[in-house]
This record gives sequence, structure tokens and C-alpha cells, in this order.
Amino acid sequence: MRAIKGILFTCDPAVKQILLSMNEKSSFIIEDLDDHHLVIKADEEYRVRRELEVELEKNTYSMES
Amino acid sequence: MAAWVTREGKPIYTEALTTLAKLHIFPNSAIKLAVVPTFKTSFRQAITGGGTSGSFGVPSEKDDKQSDVDIEFLDVFALERWETILHYMVSSGSGQNPTKPSVRVLFLLQRSGLMTTVGQGPLQITSTGFQFLLHSPHEQLWELLLQYLHLTEERQMDLVDVLGFLFMLSTMELGREYSTERLSKTQTAMLEDLVDYGLIWRRKPSSKHFHPTRLATTLTSSSPPLPSSIGNRSGPQEGFIVLETNYRIYAYTDNPLQTAILNLFVALKYRFPNLVVGAITRDSVKKALLNGISADQIISYLMSHAHPQMRKNNPLLPVTVQDQIRLWELEKNRLKSQEGYLYTSFASQADYDFVLNYAKELGVVLWENPVKRCFFGSLDGHANIRGFIERRTGAS
Repeated sequence: MRAIKGILFTCDPAVKQILLSMNEKSSFIIEDLDDHHLVIKADEEYRVRRELEVELEKNTYSMES
Repeated sequence: MAAWVTREGKPIYTEALTTLAKLHIFPNSAIKLAVVPTFKTSFRQAITGGGTSGSFGVPSEKDDKQSDVDIEFLDVFALERWETILHYMVSSGSGQNPTKPSVRVLFLLQRSGLMTTVGQGPLQITSTGFQFLLHSPHEQLWELLLQYLHLTEERQMDLVDVLGFLFMLSTMELGREYSTERLSKTQTAMLEDLVDYGLIWRRKPSSKHFHPTRLATTLTSSSPPLPSSIGNRSGPQEGFIVLETNYRIYAYTDNPLQTAILNLFVALKYRFPNLVVGAITRDSVKKALLNGISADQIISYLMSHAHPQMRKNNPLLPVTVQDQIRLWELEKNRLKSQEGYLYTSFASQADYDFVLNYAKELGVVLWENPVKRCFFGSLDGHANIRGFIERRTGAS
């Protein structure tokens, strides 16, 4: 058996799909567990979170601008 | 005694007794009822006018020169002191330079974790501080005083004296002058701090008299601790915020503190002499969430300061806005991450079950999938699981 160090992401399927498409650009996912769970490389968490934030921000529209 | 109580009155009677026992006024005994001796003597002393202990404070003799101190003056003083503290907190991050409260107040704010310093920089408000700002004045006051009580031991002050003095203040009469003569050493030292918080007023630091302000006299009562804000003459006191279904917010106030607090979670647009107009937007709420303010706190602040006109609505706040604020909060937490180890490629189903059971007993399993024969365990469980597997492979 093997033990792999990583970070477990728990999220909704929509966020997971975004993560999967981000993974195609630069790979960080270790294991795709199911619709709600992913394991990613431990040292990539900060970068992934930041990029995801940018990605999600593209889908929101504000009254201001 | 128990024979006097009718059957219907029994539950009320027992409840009253338990409460009194909890307060250590009645010892809990089934045979006879007697008031605790200490409480008895103190209580008797209190109703007969305090005796020599002066538990309700010692009013000082009237003289001619104190005629200029009236209730209005004290209210203005208390309000000014109190709002200075809050205003300093709220604008600490915004680069403005409001009047600083005294060093002792700053120290207390820092110690209570409401503000903190980043490196050598000036004091910055923390997320607990932001939450503090949204509380009612009564809660804020007690929160600060409780912190003050925590500090007393460090400053080698007598806790009982300090508490006694606070309760004494709360029984005093507004607008009356009290003498400092009977106060203990600790209490005299407290006077200075309390002046800083706006709880009492003194003509000069060495004065032998002091006036409690409304902040002090309402400590243990339910009446509002602050007089209607001086800067808020135009609007009704109890509420000033009108929130519409289109996320627009109208605040009938010209008080800089209230405006600054609103600015924490509202995008302000226009400002008139008696009115501030803004809108609750995704960005403004997001900023508040980043500062550690929760959606519920925003909603409860809006509720408690709603304009009387809004009170006709049921529910008080537009449901759309409430829900949207909550949704924005959820959006922030779309991704949850936990560090740990993924255990996979088990040789047999039996192996997998065996290790998984052990991990479950430790309570470290975050995710499992029997079909793929793998599970995810948290970081702190790893050492144990590894040891367990090594022992097992060593044995077989």
C-alpha cells in the first residue's frame, strides 16, 4: 500500500470542474476522488486558491461598474 | 415552610429556591430555610442606608461652584469619550487620523484583542474589534469592563474592590456629586481609568469629588446607556436605517461614528447634512467578510438600527437582501481544504478494512471509498497509522 501526502479539497461539483480545467494548464491534482473531493499537492494550495478566486470573480457582475 | 405551598405553586416555589441557592443567598437544605448570615447583615445594612460602608457612594456636600455641572453636560462628556474610543477603532485601518483616546484606553484595547499592532506600525483593528463595533453600547461597555477586570490582577488591584466599585457606580444617581473620601486605594486608582472611558467626570484629576455619568448609572439597568447622540438631532434615536429591496440603504444620521460603522459593509454614495445614501453590494459585503464580520452580524446590526418606518414591514428587512448577504458569505467558503495523507493501493480488501477500522477508531478519516479501496486521513493521524501498518507487516 501507499500513503501520499496532500491536501483534501471538499467543494461543490461546479468548483471541481473549474479546478479540473485549471489542472490542464498546470497539473496539481494528485487524485480525483469523487464529485466533491480532490487531493492536490500540498505546496500548491495557496496558488490554486488564488487562481480559483480570479476564475470565480469572472462570473460575477457588479452594479457599480 | 413546605406545608404553606399549594400544589399548583410547588414548581414555582422549588424554582425560586434553586435560583436563590445558586446565588448563595439560601443554603440548599430540605429541613429549614435560613438566609446566609453574611447576606443577611449586608442586606439589612443596604436597606437601612448603607451604614458606614457607603455601598451606594457618599454624596458630597453641596457648594456653590458646582452649579455648572448638569445632566446634559455629563451626557455630552460621556458620549464624547465613548465615541472617541469607537471612532478611533473604526477608522484605524482607513488611514485617517481621528483623535486618540488616552494611552490607558489604547492599552486595554490592545490587551483585549480588539486592536493589534503590525510590527512597529500603528494600532490596527482586528476582526474581533469589527464584531465589537456592531454590538449594542451596553454589550460594548460590559465587554470592555470585563477586560478591565481581567487586567486588575496584573496591576495588583483587588478584584472585589473593583467589582464593588462598579456596582456602586451603577446604583448612583445621575447628576449628583459624590465624594472620593471613603474610596479604597484601588478604587481611587480606578477613578482615572473610568474618566477615560467616560463613566465618570471630575473637575480636575486631584479633585475630591466626582460625578457618575449615564454610562455608569445604567450599568446594571436596561435603560439605554447613552443619551440620544448629540450629532443625531435630525433623526429619531431608536433607529435610522431604511433598507430597500433593491439593496439601497438610507441612513438618517449625521453622526460620523455611525457613518463610519456603516462604511464597514455598505458602499456609500451620497452624503447630505442629515442623510447618508449607499448600497449593499457584493464587494462591500465581501470586504466586511474579509474583515471577519459575519453575515449574521450585519443583519442583526441592520435589524437593531432599523428606522421606525421599517418596523411596519414584516419581516423587518427585505428577505432578498438578507438571503443575498448570507449567500455571499457562503460563496466565500466554497472550497474547504484539509491537509493529510491519501492511503491507497492496498494489497487486499482485508488489509484495507483492517487499516480503515483502525483509522476510524482514531477518528481521523476524512473521506473513504471502499470501491477504490482508498481513504484520506488527517495529518495528525498519520504517525499512528504508519506505526500500525509497520507493526502489522513486521508481525506477518
